[in-house]
Amino acid sequence: MKPIFLLSKRCSKPLIVFGVLIFSLQIGWSQRTVSGTVTDADTKEPLIGVSILAKGTSTGTITDYDGRYSLDVPEDVNVLEYSYTGYGRQEVQVDGQSVINVSLSSGAILDEVVVIGYGTQKKADVTGAISRFEAESLEERPISRVDQALVGQLAGVRVQQTSGTPGAGFRVQIRGTGSINANNQPLYVVDGFPLEVSEQNGSGDFTSGNPLDNINPNDIASIEVLKDAAAAAIYGSRASNGVVLITTKTGKTGKAKISLNASYGWNETAKKLDILNAEEWIDRASEMIDDSWEASGADRSRNQTSAERLAILGSFNRGLIKDERWAMPGHPGLMFIDWQDEMFRKGAVQNYSLSASGGNEYVQYYVSGDYLDSEGIAIGLGYKQYSARANVEVNASNKLKLGINIAPSYSIASDPGVEGKDQQMHITVGMVPVSEDTIGLDVNVGENDIYTWGNSRSSPVRVVENSIGDRKIFRTIGTVYAQYSIIEGLNFRTSFNLDNVDQNTKSYTPAWVTRNRTAEGRYSGYRRQVFVNENTLSLNKTFGGVHNLAAIVGTSYNTTKFDNFDIRVSGGFNSEVITTLNAANINAGSTFTRETKNTLVSYFGRLQYNLKDRYLLTASIRRDGSSRFGPETKWGVFPSVSAGWRISEEAFMQDVDFISSLKVRGSWGISGNNGIGDYSHVSILDFDNYSFGGSLAPGQVPSNFANPNLSWEESETIDIGLDFGLFNNRIFASFDYYTKRNTDLLLNIPVPTAIGFSSALTNIGEVLNKGWEVELSTRNLTGKLSWNTSINFSHNSNEVIQLGPENTPILGGAFDIPHNILMVGQPMYSIYVVQQIGILTQADVDGGAPLYGNQAEGDPKYFDANGDGVISPDDRILSGHPNPDYIWGITNSFSFKGFDLSFLLQGQWGGKIYSTYGRAMDRTGQGFTDNTLGFHRDRWRSPENPGAGDRGKASSSFGRIKNTDWLYHNDYWRIRNITLGYNLGSLVKNKLISGARIYATAENYFGKDKYAGGFNPEAVNNSGDDYGAFPLAKSIIFGLNVTF
Amino acid sequence: MLSACEDDLNLTPISDAGSNGFYNNADDFEQAVSGIYASFGVQNNADYPSLYVIMDESRSDNIYAPGQSGVRDWNAINNFLTSISTLGTIKNVWNVTFNGIMRANTVLDQLIEKKGVIEDPNLSVRFEAEAKFLRAYFYFDLVKWFGKVPIFDTFVTPTEALSIGRSSVAEVYDLIISDLEFAINNLPESYGGADKGRATSLAAKGILARVYLTRSGPKLHPDGPCLSTNEYQQALDLLNDIIGSQKFSMADDFSAIFDYDNEGNSEIVWDLQFIGGGIGAGGYFPTEYYDEGWARINLPFPGGNPGDGSKRVSEDLLNSYEEGDLRVEPTFLIGYVGDSGDNIDAKFYDKFMNTTKAGGDRFDWSLNYPVLRFTDVLMLKAECILQGASGNQSEVDDIVNAVRDRAGLGMVSNVTLETLMEERRREFAGENLRWDDLVRTGMVIDVMNNYITNEDNSGKMLQVSNNSIIYPIPQDQLDVKEGLYQQNPGYL
Repeated sequence: MKPIFLLSKRCSKPLIVFGVLIFSLQIGWSQRTVSGTVTDADTKEPLIGVSILAKGTSTGTITDYDGRYSLDVPEDVNVLEYSYTGYGRQEVQVDGQSVINVSLSSGAILDEVVVIGYGTQKKADVTGAISRFEAESLEERPISRVDQALVGQLAGVRVQQTSGTPGAGFRVQIRGTGSINANNQPLYVVDGFPLEVSEQNGSGDFTSGNPLDNINPNDIASIEVLKDAAAAAIYGSRASNGVVLITTKTGKTGKAKISLNASYGWNETAKKLDILNAEEWIDRASEMIDDSWEASGADRSRNQTSAERLAILGSFNRGLIKDERWAMPGHPGLMFIDWQDEMFRKGAVQNYSLSASGGNEYVQYYVSGDYLDSEGIAIGLGYKQYSARANVEVNASNKLKLGINIAPSYSIASDPGVEGKDQQMHITVGMVPVSEDTIGLDVNVGENDIYTWGNSRSSPVRVVENSIGDRKIFRTIGTVYAQYSIIEGLNFRTSFNLDNVDQNTKSYTPAWVTRNRTAEGRYSGYRRQVFVNENTLSLNKTFGGVHNLAAIVGTSYNTTKFDNFDIRVSGGFNSEVITTLNAANINAGSTFTRETKNTLVSYFGRLQYNLKDRYLLTASIRRDGSSRFGPETKWGVFPSVSAGWRISEEAFMQDVDFISSLKVRGSWGISGNNGIGDYSHVSILDFDNYSFGGSLAPGQVPSNFANPNLSWEESETIDIGLDFGLFNNRIFASFDYYTKRNTDLLLNIPVPTAIGFSSALTNIGEVLNKGWEVELSTRNLTGKLSWNTSINFSHNSNEVIQLGPENTPILGGAFDIPHNILMVGQPMYSIYVVQQIGILTQADVDGGAPLYGNQAEGDPKYFDANGDGVISPDDRILSGHPNPDYIWGITNSFSFKGFDLSFLLQGQWGGKIYSTYGRAMDRTGQGFTDNTLGFHRDRWRSPENPGAGDRGKASSSFGRIKNTDWLYHNDYWRIRNITLGYNLGSLVKNKLISGARIYATAENYFGKDKYAGGFNPEAVNNSGDDYGAFPLAKSIIFGLNVTF
Repeated sequence: MLSACEDDLNLTPISDAGSNGFYNNADDFEQAVSGIYASFGVQNNADYPSLYVIMDESRSDNIYAPGQSGVRDWNAINNFLTSISTLGTIKNVWNVTFNGIMRANTVLDQLIEKKGVIEDPNLSVRFEAEAKFLRAYFYFDLVKWFGKVPIFDTFVTPTEALSIGRSSVAEVYDLIISDLEFAINNLPESYGGADKGRATSLAAKGILARVYLTRSGPKLHPDGPCLSTNEYQQALDLLNDIIGSQKFSMADDFSAIFDYDNEGNSEIVWDLQFIGGGIGAGGYFPTEYYDEGWARINLPFPGGNPGDGSKRVSEDLLNSYEEGDLRVEPTFLIGYVGDSGDNIDAKFYDKFMNTTKAGGDRFDWSLNYPVLRFTDVLMLKAECILQGASGNQSEVDDIVNAVRDRAGLGMVSNVTLETLMEERRREFAGENLRWDDLVRTGMVIDVMNNYITNEDNSGKMLQVSNNSIIYPIPQDQLDVKEGLYQQNPGYL
C-alpha cells in the first residue's frame, strides 16, 4: 500500500505523528485454565460459538460444536463475560473455579451491540432507524455479492437485481428514490472505510464500478443499514440515500479456529420466456403470408400453392409465398429449434473457502482465502472470483492498538454480450424457431444463409460460443489504523484507507459469426483509487452513575481519482486468429483516455447522552466541503438530532410482566447528496472536430451551461419509531414511520434550447417519500424443536412536489414517443401511455370508434382519453409507477436435534414495469421474421375466433403507439433461499476435527411473477426500462463445513 | 486542522478544457471556429445533411416513404401528419441549428471580449466573417423550416431566453442578410488547400442569392419563408458575381461530381467537409438513403433504413426522366437481391454511395456534401431571369440545354419556370433541394397534391395545405414556458 502518493504533501504532515508512537509491550501474565459448557437456558441445548472473554482483556475464546470451551484466564482477571447474539450477556466470577457451566437466556436482544457511523452502540440505546443483518450463514449460500445477500432481509431496503449477468451490481434503494438526476445509491462503508458512491447508468451498468464489486460475502460478519438522517447524517453529503455499514469478521482471542467450507452444485435459468413454438410460429407466418397474398391482387386465393403463386408472380417473394414444407407431414428438410433451450445450460457452481481466526492478548487475526467458480446459466457466461482477506489487530500496549485490514481480490466475469437490446438473449428469443436441417443452429454464420423466412441475425448460439467478453477486476481494499487510549474513556483513532480497483474489459466477436462478417472488438477499463484518512477523538464516560455520555469529533479527507480508457475497433481485424487489438483497425475517433478527480474534506461530531439508561438523546453534525461544487456553495452543514425513551425501564412498568422492553424514539436530520459528477459546475468545452482540405481540424465547443451556484441536494428525514419486546422478548418488533423530503434536487430543467443547450442543471426539484416499516422477530418454539421467524414489511410512496420554475412535466423513455413522466403530484417516472380496451370489431370501425391511423377490424381498440375522436399521443394517461408499494421478506428457521432448516421468502407488489422489449417481441403489425410472445397464439383471427381479446390480428398495418400492451405488474414472490443442514457434531469429532456440518441450499429456486413480457420484473437495461433482460439464475448446491 | 487539505477542493477538469482558460490566442479561436463548422458533423447519430434528407427530400415528391407501420420520423413527415411536433427529428433539427448558432455567437462574443489576443487583424476579421456566415446559414435553414424563430445574436442565459419570443421572418432575414453581407465583404474568394472548405465570399454570395430568391417567393403562409419581395435582380447580381469569378465550371461528366476521388471539383462552389478513417469527422448522409437489407450484403457494417420505413424514390420522380438520361444510373439503385434470396423491389438514391469507400461504420463516410454546385448557380440564374430579372430567354435555354447536354439529352427551347423546375428536380435529385424549389416558386401545393393523388397507394398521406410549408415548433419547446412560443397553424 502506498496511500501517501494520493495525498498532497501538505495534508500528510499532521498525521505522521502516529508513526513515531512507541510500542510498549507487556509480557508475562500468569494464567490458569477454566473450562465448561454453555447451554440455552430454555432448551438446555448446547450453544455453539458463544464468545467468552476475560473481562478487561482481549483474551477470549468461543464454544465448540458441543458448547464446550476452555480458556486460559490471566491471573489478574476474575470475571468472565459470556455473550452470544440474541442472548443476554452474562458475567461470572471465576473465584478459583476451574469448571464453569453457564446457561444463557435468549431474549436479551437489547444487549446486542450494533455498529453505527464512527462507533458502536447498544441496540437498546439506539434512537435512529437502523436495521441489522447478521451475516452468519452467508457462506452456505451460493452468492457472489454482498448486495445479493441483502435481498429481502431488511425493512425499507429494496435490493433490486436489475441484471442477470454474472457479477453485475445490484440497485439498492433505501426508503425509496429521492433524486432525479443525481445518485440514488447508498454509501457503503466497509470497516469504517467509506467507499466511493456509484450510480447505475440508463443501461443498468455501474460504469465506474460498483462499490461492492469483488467483496467476498463469506468475510462479512454483519451489515447495518442506517436509514434515517439521524443515523446517517454523520456521513453528511453522501448520506441522503442511506448508509450501509459492512463489518468484516475479526479474530477472537483463543485457540485458532480453522474453518473449511466447500460447496458444489448447479445453476440454471429461473425462467424461460413463453414464446411461440415452431408450429405456432408457422401457423402465424402462414396466416400472414396468405393474407398478404390475397390482398396482393384480384383472383388470388389463400388456397393457391407456393408453386402456383410463384408461377403467377414470376419471381420469389417470401412475403407472398410460404415454405411448402411447413404443411408437409414431418416437415422434411426443416429443423424445429427451441433457441432458448439451445442457449441455456446447467452450469456448475463451486466455492471453497478456508479461514483461520484466533489470537492472544497481543494479536487477533482473521485470515481467509476463497475461490468461487460459477458457470453461467447460458453458454459463454461465467464468474470466477479469487479473494483473500487478512484482518489483524495488534495490542502494542495497554494504550495502543494497531491494525491492518487488507483484502486483495480478482474476478473474471465472462459475458459475451447477452443482456440488453440487440444482445444475444434478445436475439435468442426473437429467432425464428425453424431452420434448414442442413444448417441447424448455424444460421447466418460462415458460409450459411439465413432461413428464408427468418430474420437476418446470426445464430446467437454460435455467437456466444465464439465470442469473448471478459471483465476482469483486480481490487485491493486496505486499511491501516491506530487507536490510542489517552486516558480511560478517551480514545484517539486514525486510519488510512486505500481502495484500488483495476478493471479491464475485453470483447471480441470473430467475423464469421457477425452479420456483416466483420470482426468486432473493444478493450476498455479503468483504475479507480479512493484514499481516505479519518481521525477521531472519542469519549465514553459515566458521571454520577446516571449520566452516560459518549462523544466523538473527527475529520475526514477523502479523494477519488478515476482514470479510464476505451479502445474501439471499426472495420474489423487484419487477422482471423488474433483477438487483441494490435491486429485491429482502431477507431481513433472513439478511442480515448480520460481522468477525473474529486475531493471531500469533512469535520464532524456527535454527542450521545443517556440519563439512567432510559432518556436518550443523540445529536450529530457534519460539515462537508466538496470539489464538485462552486466556490460559493462548496460547503454544506448536515445536522441531526434524535431522542428516545425506554419506557420499560420506568418504575411504573416493572409490574407489566409481558412487556420486556418498550422504547419510543423520534429523529430529525438533514443529509446531502453530492452524486452529480465531478465537474458539473464548471463551464466545459467539448471536442467536436471538423476537417478542412482533407485534414482533421480540431474544434472546441461549449458543452454545458455552467451553473456556478450548483449545490447539494438536501434530504430532510423525520422518523418516529417504536421498539418493543413481549414475553421475555420472544416477540420483538420495531415499527417506523418516516417522511423524507428531498429538496434542491439537481434537475436538468428544460430550457429554451435556442440558447444552444437543451437543459441546465439547477437545484430546484423536490420529491417527498413517505412510508412505514415493520420488523418483527419471534421465537415460536424454543424446545427441542425450535422455530424462529423474522418478518420485514415496508411501504414507501413517493411524490414529485416541484420540478422546474414552471413545473413543466419532464417526459422520458426511449423509442417512438415518451412513455414515462415526471409530473408534480405523481410518483416519479409514472408510466404514461395510451390504454388498450379490447379489440376493434367491424361495428366499432363502422360506428366511428376513435382510431389510430388506418386501424381496422381486429386491431387493438384504444381509449380516446381526450375525447377528440381520434387516437393520438395526446391520449396517453397516467398508468402506474415503477416502484413497488410494498416490499417484504420472511425468514423461518427451524432446528431439531442436529438438523436445521431455514427459508427466505421475499417479494414486492404494487409497481409496474414498462417493457420496451415489446418493441422487439410484441409489437402491433410485427412481421413473421421475428418470433413473438406467447400471447399471440390467442390473437384475434376472425370475428368468429377473436382470441383472448388482448392481442390483435397478425396482419396489421396501422403501426404502433405506446400503450398498455407492454405494461406489466412487477409484483413477484420468490423463495430466495432454502437451506437444510445437519450438524455431524460428535460423529466426526476427533483430535483434528472439532466440528462438521453438511448442508444443501436451494437459491432462488421457486417463485412467480406477472411479467410475461420479459425475463426479469426488476430489469433495468435500456434508458431505465427492460429491453432484453437476461434471466436470473436458480441454483442448488451441496456443501460441507469442517472446523479444526 | 485540515486547512491545507481544503485547497484540494478547488479542482479543475483534467481531461476537458474549461472555457475560462480558453479563447486566449489565435489557435484557440481557430479551434472555436472549427467547432462551429463541426455542427455539420455527426451529432445524435445524424449529420447535418441527413437532416435535409428527412426534412426536405422526404417531404418532397422525390421520396415516397409512407412506412409500413409508420413509426419512423420520416414516415410521419412524408405523410404530412399534423401530430409531428413531438418527433425526435423535429426536436433535433431545432437543437442542432440553435446549437450551431450558439457556437457562432460564442466566437463573436469572445472576439469582442478578448479583443487583441489575435495578433493578425485580418485573421480576426476572417473568424468573425466565418462565424457570421455560419450563423446566417443556420438561421436561413431555421426560417425555411420553422418560419418565425427567436433571434439570438449573442450568448443568452436560460433565464434571459425565457423572455425572448419568436421574431418575425422579416427580422430574421435582416440578421441573415447583414451577416452574409459582412461575410461577402470580409471573406476571401477561395483558400489554399489546407483551408479548403471554409466559408468564402462566393459561397456567401450564393447563399445570399438563395435568400433573395426564397424571400421573393409568393407569400402562401403568413409566417413562411417567402415574403413576395421581388428581389430576383439582387439574386441575379450575386449569381453573376459567382459566374464572373471564373472559379467554377460545369463538370463534363455528371457522375464525376460525386466521385469520392474528385472532391472539390470545378462544380463545387461550397461543400461540407467529411473525412473517413474513424477519427470522428466522417459523414452519415449516404446512410440515410439505403436499405438496411442492402447494407447487410454490400457493406461491412450495419445500418440503413429498416424494412418498416424505407425511403424509396417515388415512381413520379423516376418516370420524369427521359429515355437515355445519363443521370439515372449514377443517381439511383434499382432493385437488389436480399439475403433471403428475394429480389427486393427497392429503388433508392445511391448518388453519394461507393461501397468500396465504406469507412469503419455508418458514420464514417468520407464524401463531402455539396451545398452549392455551379450547375445550381446557373439554373438559379435562369430562374431569376424567368422571374423577371434582367436577361433573356436564350440565356435561360442555354443554361438548361447545357445541363441536358451533359445528361445526354436533346436540346429544348422556350424553357418555362415549370420545365426549369422539372429539370432541376432531375439534376438535383437526392441533393435535398426539391422541397425548397417547390416552396420558393409557389408550386408546392398543386404539385404535391397531384403527386399524392397519383403516387400514394397506401392511403397514408394527407393532403398538403399552406400550413405544410413550415414545420411545427417542437412540442418540448412550447412546454418550457407557456406562451413563450405559439405553435404554427395547422399543427397539434
